[in-house]
Amino acid sequence: MKLPNDATITTDLLHPLLNTSWRFYLLVAFLGSIVLMGLSTWIFQMVMGFGMTGINNPIFWAFYITNFVFWIGISHAGTLISAILRLVNAGWRRPVTRCAEVITAFALMIGALFPIIHLGRPWLFFWLVPYPSSRMIWPNFRSPLAWDFFAINTYLTGSLLFLFLPMIPDFAIVRDHSTGLRRKIYGVLALGWRGTTKQWHRLETAMSIMAVGIIPVAVSVHTIVSFDFSMAPVPMWHSTIFGPYFVAGAIFSGIAGLIIAMATLRKFLHLENYLYPLHFQNLGKLLLMMSLLWGYFVFNERLTVWYGNHEADMNVFWVTQTGSFSPLFWTMVTVNFVMPVIILGIKRFRTITGCVIASCGVCVGMWLERFLIVVPSLGHKYLPYSWGTYTPQPVELLITVSTFAAMTLLYTLFAKFVPIISIWELKAGKHPSPALFPEGAREHPLGEVHI
Amino acid sequence: MKALYAMYPDGHAAQRAVDGLRKAGVTDNDITVISAQPMEEFNFSHIGHKTYMWYIACLGGLVGFAGATGLAYITETSWPINTGGMPIVSWWPNLIIMFELTMLGAILASVITLIVTAGLGRRRPALYDPEVTDGKILVGVENPRDASLPDLKKALQIHPNISLKTI
Amino acid sequence: MAHKWGLAVDLDRCDGCGACVTACHAENNIPTVGEMQAARGRAMHWIRVERYWEGEFPNVRLKFRPVMCQQCDSAPCEPVCPTYASHHTADGLNAQIYNRCIGTRYCANACPYNVRFFDFFNPAWDKPLQLQLNPDVSVREVGVMEKCTFCSQRILATTIQAKAEKREVKDGEIKPACAQACPAKAIVFGDLNDPESEVSRLAESPRGSKLLEDLGTRPNVNYLQRLTEA
Repeated sequence: MKLPNDATITTDLLHPLLNTSWRFYLLVAFLGSIVLMGLSTWIFQMVMGFGMTGINNPIFWAFYITNFVFWIGISHAGTLISAILRLVNAGWRRPVTRCAEVITAFALMIGALFPIIHLGRPWLFFWLVPYPSSRMIWPNFRSPLAWDFFAINTYLTGSLLFLFLPMIPDFAIVRDHSTGLRRKIYGVLALGWRGTTKQWHRLETAMSIMAVGIIPVAVSVHTIVSFDFSMAPVPMWHSTIFGPYFVAGAIFSGIAGLIIAMATLRKFLHLENYLYPLHFQNLGKLLLMMSLLWGYFVFNERLTVWYGNHEADMNVFWVTQTGSFSPLFWTMVTVNFVMPVIILGIKRFRTITGCVIASCGVCVGMWLERFLIVVPSLGHKYLPYSWGTYTPQPVELLITVSTFAAMTLLYTLFAKFVPIISIWELKAGKHPSPALFPEGAREHPLGEVHI
Repeated sequence: MKALYAMYPDGHAAQRAVDGLRKAGVTDNDITVISAQPMEEFNFSHIGHKTYMWYIACLGGLVGFAGATGLAYITETSWPINTGGMPIVSWWPNLIIMFELTMLGAILASVITLIVTAGLGRRRPALYDPEVTDGKILVGVENPRDASLPDLKKALQIHPNISLKTI
Repeated sequence: MAHKWGLAVDLDRCDGCGACVTACHAENNIPTVGEMQAARGRAMHWIRVERYWEGEFPNVRLKFRPVMCQQCDSAPCEPVCPTYASHHTADGLNAQIYNRCIGTRYCANACPYNVRFFDFFNPAWDKPLQLQLNPDVSVREVGVMEKCTFCSQRILATTIQAKAEKREVKDGEIKPACAQACPAKAIVFGDLNDPESEVSRLAESPRGSKLLEDLGTRPNVNYLQRLTEA
C-alpha cells in the first residue's frame, strides 16, 4: 500500500471521471433496464387500478410503506458521518464523507417517491403542498403525513446542499484538468470557484452551520416518519418509544448501507490507498454499537407490551414471536443482532469482508423490521372479525427491486461524474487548524489519520 | 495590469511571501492567496475570515419560524375544520411544521450568504492560475498601483526560483 | 339546537338476516367487488353483520352485531387525513369528501372499527343494473376511501324539506337505508340532542354499551344487549 501524495490523489480520484470502460456502460444498461421496468410497473399500477397490489382490508399499508421507511432510514448514513464526525473533528471521516452524503441524497429521493407510489390517486399528491388553491383549502397540519412532507423536503434540501457545497472546489479541480465540453460544464458547476482564503472560510463556515443544523433535522425526519405509526390507535403502534426507536434503526441501517457502498467503491474504483481497513473497523464499531442499541430498543418495546398484557397488543405480540410471522421475526433478530454482535464484536472477524457481511445482514434485517412493524399490527387490530393477511403481488415486488437498482444506478452515475472522495477535504487533512492541536502535540496528532 | 502574482511550492513559502507583502504596505484586503485546499495551520489562511454568517443563519431561522407560525395559524383559521375534536389551531402538531421551516430557513440563509459573499455564480475575477490544483499556492495582488510595483515584486520574489507572473 | 345524529342497534332483536347490508349497497351505490376480490378481503360493506359463536357445544349461541361507521366524536380517522377529506360536521357526523381524498389510506389504519373502505378498482355494474344506481349519491372512482355516512343524502333531503316547510324534523322522519330495511326494527336512527327522541331514550337503556369504548373514540352508536350469565 502506497501512501498517496497530492499529485497522485488528484490523478487517482479523477481517474473514474476521465476514463470509462465498457463495463460501466454494461452496468448502466443493466441497471437502467431494471429501473425502466420499475417505472413501467408503476404506470401499469396507475392505469389498471391500485387493486393490482396486495393491499386489502385491513392491511392498507404494506410493501410501499415498508420501502418508504427503509429508504428514509438508509438516508441517515450521510448525516452521521458528515455532520457528526465533522463536528467532533474526526479526521478519518475525510475519505468517507462524500460516499455517505451521496447515499443520503439518493436514498431520500427514492424514499420520498414511495408516499406518492402508495397513493390511491397519486396524480393529486401536490395537494400536500401548502399553496393557495382555488378550492380554498390547505393541507391538514395535524396529519403526520403533512409533517412528513415538510420534514422530508427540509431534509432533502439540506442534504442536497450539504452534498453540493463541498463539491464546488472539486468541480474546479476537474475544470482545471479537462478540456472542451467537459471543461465548460464543470466550469459552470464550479460557479467560478477560485479557492481564495475568503472563499474557503465562507465555505467551511457554511458547512459548519449546516452540520449543526442538519443533525436535528435528521433526527426529526425519522421521528416524524415514526409518528405515521405512533399517532394511530393500532395495537403495538401507539407507543411512545417509536421516535427514538426509529431514529436508532435509521442510523443503524444507514451505517450498514454506507459500509456496503464503501466496500464496493474500494473494490471497483481501486481505492485501496484511500479507504483503509481502519475506516471499516471504525464504522464496524459504530455498527456494533447501533446493533446493541437496536436490541435495547426492541427489548424495551416488547418487554413493556408483554408485561402490560393488553389483549389487543398481545395478539400482535404473539403472532410475530411464535405465530405466522415468527420466521421473519427470528430472521430479523439473527441478522440484526446476533450476527453483527458476533462478527463486529470479535476483532478477528471485524475485517472489511466481515463488516460487509454484517452490513448485508443488517439491511435485510432492517427491511424486515419495518415490514414486521407495519403488517402484523394492521392484520390484527381490535375487532377479530376484521383480521386479515397480506400477500405481496408482482407489482409491489418489481417496484421494490427496481428501487435497489435505481439506487445503484444513481450511485454509479454519480461516481462517474463527481470524484467520490472529496479531493480537497482529503488534502486539507494535512493542514489542520492549530486550534485542534496544542503546540507540543504536533508529532502525536492524537490519532488523526492524515489521509 | 489586472494582477501581479507568483506560485509557491508550499505553505511556508507562501507565508513568507504574504509577510513580505504586508511589510511592503499591502493591506490584508488586497492580498489574494489561492490554494486547492484550506491551509488552516498557516496565518495567511485567516485573511478575509470575518463573517456574519452565523447571525444571518439565525435570522433565516427566525424568518422560517415566523413563516411557519403564520402559515399554520392563518390557514387553520381561514377555514376552521373540526378533526377528531382537536383544537382548530393545534399548537402541538404546528410545532413540528414550525421546527422544520425554522431549520430550512437557517440552512437556506447560510447557503445564500455563502454564494453571495464568496462571489460564486458571478464572473470569475481574472486572478487565477490552474496550477493551483496541482498543489501550488498562489499569492498575489489584484489591480496593483504602478508606483508600488517594484516593492511588490521584491516582496513576492522570496527565492530566485520563483517566477513572477502578471495578468 | 344543532342536531347530533346517532344510532341505537338492538342486538337482541338482530337475527343476522343481512337486509341492512343489502339495502346499504343499493342506497349508496356500493359495488359488489366479485368473488375473487372478496376472497382477498376487499369487500366493501359499509355496514357489515359480524357473527360470533359463543359457548361450547351443545350450549352454543350465535350472536350478530351490525357494525357501521360509529361517527366518533373523537374520531381517530379525522386528524390523520392530510387533505381534510375526513372531518367532523356540525351535526356530529364524520364526513368523507371523496373529491379531497388522495387515497393515503391512513384513516383506514387509524379506524379501530375497520369501517373504512378503499376503492381498489373503478366500480362496474353489469347492464342493466346501472339503472338502479341512486342519483342522490356519487359513484366513487378508484383510489378514494368511502364509508357509512348515516345516509347523509337522506338526512340532507329531510332537513332541507323541513326547513322549506318551516318546521322541525320529526323524530323517526329520517331513516337510513339500514334502519328502513331491518325487519326486526333493530336499528333506530335519531337526534341524540333531542331528549324526547327514541334514540336518546334507548341510549340511556341499562342494556346499552358502546363498541371499543375504552379506546376513547366516543362513538355515537349504542348497542343494546341483554347481559346474561355465560
